[in-house]
Amino acid sequence: MLAVRAGDLARLAPLFERHHRALFDYLARMTGNRAAAEDLVQDVFVRILKYRHTFRDDSRFDTWAFRIARNVRADYFQGGQIREIALDEAAEPASGGAGTAEAFELDRQAARVRRALSLLREDQRELIVLARYRGMKYEAIADLLGVEVGTVKVRMHRAIVHLREIFLGLSENEPCSVKQPEKRLLMV
Amino acid sequence: MQCEAAREALIDGLNGSPDDRAEVERHLAECAACRAEAASLTHLWDTIGTLGPEGPDAAATARMRDRLEAMLAANDGSQRSRRIFYGLQAMAAAVLLALGLALGMGIARYTATPAPPASEINVMRQELQDLRHMITLSLMQQQSATDRLKGVSWSGQIDAPRNDIVQALLDALANDPNVNVRLASVDALERFADREVVRRAAVDAVQTQMSPLVQIALIDFIVKTGERESLDVLKRIADDPQVHEAVRARATWGVQMLG
Repeated sequence: MLAVRAGDLARLAPLFERHHRALFDYLARMTGNRAAAEDLVQDVFVRILKYRHTFRDDSRFDTWAFRIARNVRADYFQGGQIREIALDEAAEPASGGAGTAEAFELDRQAARVRRALSLLREDQRELIVLARYRGMKYEAIADLLGVEVGTVKVRMHRAIVHLREIFLGLSENEPCSVKQPEKRLLMV
Repeated sequence: MQCEAAREALIDGLNGSPDDRAEVERHLAECAACRAEAASLTHLWDTIGTLGPEGPDAAATARMRDRLEAMLAANDGSQRSRRIFYGLQAMAAAVLLALGLALGMGIARYTATPAPPASEINVMRQELQDLRHMITLSLMQQQSATDRLKGVSWSGQIDAPRNDIVQALLDALANDPNVNVRLASVDALERFADREVVRRAAVDAVQTQMSPLVQIALIDFIVKTGERESLDVLKRIADDPQVHEAVRARATWGVQMLG
């Protein structure tokens, strides 16, 4: 990134190759919309280029890029007046579509937890996405969010408890979009 | 260890080992309720983990890569245009100097050649300008944000943009749903900062924009143009607790610069 900052813009391409999947994953999970995530990843790299001079020598590129991604995501929800996230019908079944009874149960549980996550408050969902899917430790999350590690722990505690309440509250018999995925818009 | 502390440690443990792992395990061995809690949390955490990665498919990756390359090419193009412009300036200066020397030495009569018809060159120039206008306006009306971004970038390549280009940039600043297009419009409008309508539009937009990035870019624009009449607006923004913290800080800076 230091080379990009110095004006060697071609060096942005390897950074894209290395980081676009993680950024896409984060943005897709936060918006519930893969098409939007694709546009937002593009926005992230536009801003990286535009604000490259603000990258500091002691910064980590991935943390810096995720900060930009968080702003892009905030603008997406704010600017577009979108207050709901979609359950993406293109989501892969957790079992990989094996077709057995065990696989069906796995898919059903996964659909439930997917729905529970979509019903979770955005800031709480973000914590779980960062910790569970991005594998970030509390220290890294605290650095990204600009808060103390203790604050992250407290928020994570609330997020998990809240998620479990929602997960357990979802009726076992509710449609869980395992066999016939249905595009649903849910209030966050 | 009490149940409450053990349950807190269990959640910490989901994101790595808790500091007091041995104590937690001792407690779990003795407390059935906490063992059930641990099983429930682990089940939830594992189920979350079964949702596969949301990575882009090959087509999406290809599209993103294409857009990045287009963006880099556009950026490189504008940098190259600047280099060519400065190069041409230097060449023009050198040619003028040589011509002056030649005239001074009285040898112009040997080098003089008939000039091409000026009217023909002017017509070609005009046609090229019209074409650039048309492309710019057309790109700025596209559905794709990437195309609109290109349109804004193209506007910088027009020598004497007509009012409809300036108006299209002002419309993009006020109404484009994509924040990057709005940001690029702020940059593109800088060359028209001598026009009152542009300066007024910037002051209006800084009050209505939702994106902190665009607001900050507009404050920079206003400060650069020295629009002292916007002081009250910047003060209001600086004092408004509803406004994003970074925008307020930039507005405070703007007030200091203009004050």
